[in-house]
Amino acid sequence: MLKWTLQGLFLAPQQLLASIAAVAGAFVLVLFFEGVFSGESEKIVAMIERTEADVWVMQKGVGNMHMASSFVSDWKVGAVASVDGVKKVTPILYLNSVIEAGGRSWISFIVGMEAGDPRAGPWKSAGGAIVPEPGEAIVPDIFALDAGLSIGDSIWIAGRNFKVAGFSADTFSMANSITYVTLDDLADTISTIGAVSYLLVDAEPGVDPQALATKIMVQVEKVNALTREEFARRDFSIAVQMGLEIVWIMTLIGGALAVLLTGFIVYSHITGRERELAVMKALGVRDRAIYFSIMTQALFIGLMAFALAVLVLLIAMPTTEMLAPKISLGLSANALVRAGSMAIIASLLASIIPVRRVLSVDPVSAFQQ
Amino acid sequence: MTNAIVQATDLKKTFGSGRTLVRAVDGVSLSVAAGELVTITGPSGSGKTTLVSMLGALLRPTSGSILIDGTDISTLDEAGLSGLRARTIGFVFQSFNLLEALSVRDNILFPAHLTKGGVKQAAPRADELLERLDLTTRQNALPRTLSGGEKQRVAIARALINEPKLIIADEPTGNLDSKSGQEVLMIMHDIARDHGRSILLVTHDQRVEEVADRVLWLEDGALRDRKQETREWAHDPVCNMRVDVWNSEIYSDYDNVRYHFCSKRCQDRFGKTPKQYIGATPQSQSHQEERPS
Repeated sequence: MLKWTLQGLFLAPQQLLASIAAVAGAFVLVLFFEGVFSGESEKIVAMIERTEADVWVMQKGVGNMHMASSFVSDWKVGAVASVDGVKKVTPILYLNSVIEAGGRSWISFIVGMEAGDPRAGPWKSAGGAIVPEPGEAIVPDIFALDAGLSIGDSIWIAGRNFKVAGFSADTFSMANSITYVTLDDLADTISTIGAVSYLLVDAEPGVDPQALATKIMVQVEKVNALTREEFARRDFSIAVQMGLEIVWIMTLIGGALAVLLTGFIVYSHITGRERELAVMKALGVRDRAIYFSIMTQALFIGLMAFALAVLVLLIAMPTTEMLAPKISLGLSANALVRAGSMAIIASLLASIIPVRRVLSVDPVSAFQQ
Repeated sequence: MTNAIVQATDLKKTFGSGRTLVRAVDGVSLSVAAGELVTITGPSGSGKTTLVSMLGALLRPTSGSILIDGTDISTLDEAGLSGLRARTIGFVFQSFNLLEALSVRDNILFPAHLTKGGVKQAAPRADELLERLDLTTRQNALPRTLSGGEKQRVAIARALINEPKLIIADEPTGNLDSKSGQEVLMIMHDIARDHGRSILLVTHDQRVEEVADRVLWLEDGALRDRKQETREWAHDPVCNMRVDVWNSEIYSDYDNVRYHFCSKRCQDRFGKTPKQYIGATPQSQSHQEERPS
């Protein structure tokens, strides 16, 4: 029976391939959208993860970097530094603003870092300086591609002119680019005195970050301290929550498309082989064996389409990065498991109508000419 | 009949109701013994297919009873009927009805999946059937590459793989040329005689009379005595085979004479070069019908 089930699909290999490609198209839509979303979400937490501070300290009541603002009095930098187990404290100012250059504008997070200290700066350089001096900015390399910027060109941040001193790599995303200036320049630009946004804390070797964060919260008043992992997890979940509905809608649309396409393909296949079904029933094959056969066919098409979609995305990811560097694609194991489950569910749903069709096949029709 | 494989009593099957009521089968009683080859013949629309569908446990009668190998099929549910068909009945169809995706061997072995022993136990029987029906060299071929005669031999092998006690064949020679048709009839004859299978054969092919134990005539849903006076014989001008004019469905008119053929193949050959066959065999000419001008 299984032989009939699978070999029957291969009777018209071109038709089978076209069918699988059509269903794969639906999965590619879902996976691509989720990949873009996942890539963007990963970029949101890139700074937290790549700067590799053991503990992040922020204003009490604040637990995120994204979609949040934090103000910590600058005297607390010394208070945190004096906590036992702290090796180094690096303060940053952080805000969301518009950058204008070469007739283009982008929304970017601006990080104000201490002059001459690369600790909170870009983790990967794409040319020029890696630490801004007063009046300078380090911008994402994609800005340079977009607006034809070169080292020494002028840009405007929150209405103030800066000179491009260097380019950073891996700091651009459609929703969360990062531009670096000095802490004093940024404080001056936004008229902030005596406050920073976050403190990056490096622990002494052998000190447990979770224990250190707890100690900081006990010893320094009105601050929140989170380990890097926890801080990144919270920001990532904020990003996921923001896009969850859209991802679900896309998943549902893709899933519905997959169900319709698979259902149509299996239904057409069954309709074309009704005579064989009648013969099989006449020979003594039970309905449930035929149902199982149809579900197997639908599952085969669904899973092959899913595998093809993953293959297409694996090829598309580096190609997309080359052709459209603004798009960040990420294909997580979770997304694959989700889409794979969707493929199975879609296949099973798609076999419902063909299964009903089988019920109506009369074995007596095997006698007809 | 004590050793009856099929025992049908007062079978009736109606379709529709009220003014649209059709009595497809109307009070048929018959029995078929082990090793007996019984032919059911009759005009088109006489209820032959409905009758064999019921006798093959594919269609439930409106009334009456059917015992197949001692089992009253009215006591079985759909799954039970499927099981009975798989174990006890082999089917041979006019259109061969092979499964296109499967090789000759896999087609023959297909019903074996439905029985206890499965394919493993049936494999030696498949080899034997392939050899007996001269299909060994074609066992890996797909049905679309086979001739009509080969297809029907595969269908017969498939019907025999589970060693059923009853074989139901519906017009098994209907789509075959005369030589292949003759061959299939002889195979059927051997199956009944040598292997003790009961065969119920629905056909218009008059050659079956030469191999059948009994010929039943179905007309208007009921078994009747055949009206011998209505029979008129002609000879196929191509192969010289005897053809029943009354039942003949394959004929051509040429030069105001109607010629009857045993098969479409002979008809086609005649159509290409009719003069080659007219007058070549005086005997064949003499039995054709004169067409009124």
